[in-house]
Amino acid sequence: MAYRTNHKKPQDMDFDLIVIGTGSGGGVAAHMASSKGKKVAVVEQEKIGGECPNYGCVPTKAILQAAETYKVIKHAKNFGINVDKVSVDMPAIKKWKDQAVKNTGTEEGLSAYNADGIKVINGHAHFINPWTISVAGKRYKAHHFLIATGTHDLVPPIPGLKETGYIGYRQALDLTALPKKLCIIGGGAIGSEFTHYFSTFGVEVHLMEFAERLMIREDVEMGELLEAIFEHNGVNVHTGSKVIKVEKKGSQKVVSFEHLGKIQTITVDEILLAAGKVPNTDLGLENANVDYDARRGITVNSMMQTSNPHIYAAGDVVGGYMFTHVASYQSRIVGHNMFSTLKHVADYRAVPRCVFVDPEFASVGVNEQELREKGLKYQSAIISTAIIGRANTSQEDTGFVKILADRKGRVLGASIVAPRAGEMIQELTLAVQWRMKASKIDYTMHAYPTWGQAVRICASKIVCR
Amino acid sequence: MKHIVKRAGHTELYDERKLYASIFSACQSVREPMGSAELIADKVVSDIAEWIEKKHEVTSNDIRHTASKHLSAYNPDAGYMYLHHRVVW
Repeated sequence: MAYRTNHKKPQDMDFDLIVIGTGSGGGVAAHMASSKGKKVAVVEQEKIGGECPNYGCVPTKAILQAAETYKVIKHAKNFGINVDKVSVDMPAIKKWKDQAVKNTGTEEGLSAYNADGIKVINGHAHFINPWTISVAGKRYKAHHFLIATGTHDLVPPIPGLKETGYIGYRQALDLTALPKKLCIIGGGAIGSEFTHYFSTFGVEVHLMEFAERLMIREDVEMGELLEAIFEHNGVNVHTGSKVIKVEKKGSQKVVSFEHLGKIQTITVDEILLAAGKVPNTDLGLENANVDYDARRGITVNSMMQTSNPHIYAAGDVVGGYMFTHVASYQSRIVGHNMFSTLKHVADYRAVPRCVFVDPEFASVGVNEQELREKGLKYQSAIISTAIIGRANTSQEDTGFVKILADRKGRVLGASIVAPRAGEMIQELTLAVQWRMKASKIDYTMHAYPTWGQAVRICASKIVCR
Repeated sequence: MKHIVKRAGHTELYDERKLYASIFSACQSVREPMGSAELIADKVVSDIAEWIEKKHEVTSNDIRHTASKHLSAYNPDAGYMYLHHRVVW
């Protein structure tokens, strides 16, 4: 917070609420406020719907479905199906991806807002004072604001990177030809999913990760297994590596990186940057007395209020868990708190986290390292998914279920690697959220033969008192 | 057309020459040689032009803080002087 302004609240307001950003963090609260009879406006400078349906979750899952289909066909012979020739048609994959985005209805988002009587203002919003924003040369005043402006790509200060050129994940989604060799900088969820996508189609992928292992915020088993899977699939995983320089060499790009004190170089056709995200805070927040950190985002309390109580913030712009389901959860809290005397508070104990590689990786709650750091006594159980019936019929024997519980057996956290881990984690999310004992999962009948059985078997290993 | 909202509440047209002059003065006040002071002022004005591109209205405080941030990257002392000496716009 650089400076503070002192402005009196104006008498004549244009709106009860102005929402800046129409993604998951903004849209939910806008519709909730409108349904309560409030006069609402939304400001959007890009596509209606924000990151998730246009550039994030939806298009990436659409192209990953193409990769999964390719893999299934390649292995069809194992199940008695003969397929003569398999080829990848990148323009057709892009067309499918665009169709999947269209199917979400974001293009009709404008009419949905109009139908609810919500005014849509196009342009970049900038606070002039705590009660007024300026958009495209016009000023709008409101009793409340919700900032849900999302993030943009972090571009690390690597010498030569800007001059050499790179693509971000938005450009990667629109590629109509596969690079032969690709360097992906960043081994988080985005980097890992694109590593899986490109390597499935035979691209030589070099995955660079500064941390000592992939998925550094999750349990050790997750990162180690992901690295092993990638390497088994021919990916060159460079953990503990720092990219120090990028240069252009003809039509190719030379990436220099340091690993264990030694400098190595690789030559690739393209560089895909997935090094993280930075909250979009260039909104004149100082004029609105809203505290923020340029790297971590806008500071909010548990009721999603910023340092200026009539201004709320939700979604990726507040940092922390950057997921669509978290953003819409926070937006629901804002939509409630803004016009109610009885406030709701955000609870992040049971945030499910998924990485859609093959097999899927999912987790919820705390990890083992966090429990150790807090000095809490806990018990853990881990089982291989290879022991269940479905693994046999699917020929998928890589994966595990791990559950962390307190001494009484109440589930605190879990990690799953399995073909349907994203679905399986829901059961454990429920358990973490409602402090259920693992025995309740164990005593619940699970259909045979499903991947969910692995959760029940793992839960049976936890001692409940 | 970019507008600057002044502290008193009125607006003025954004004038790059004013910004250039104030950055140049800040550089000179910390004994930056004249030639490099001109180069730095040019760069900061160009940085601000990029930052302000999508915006129609910003406050004079926004300009002061953003210009100071960019100026500090070239000369931290000049950036400090620029931020803490009340520059009359």
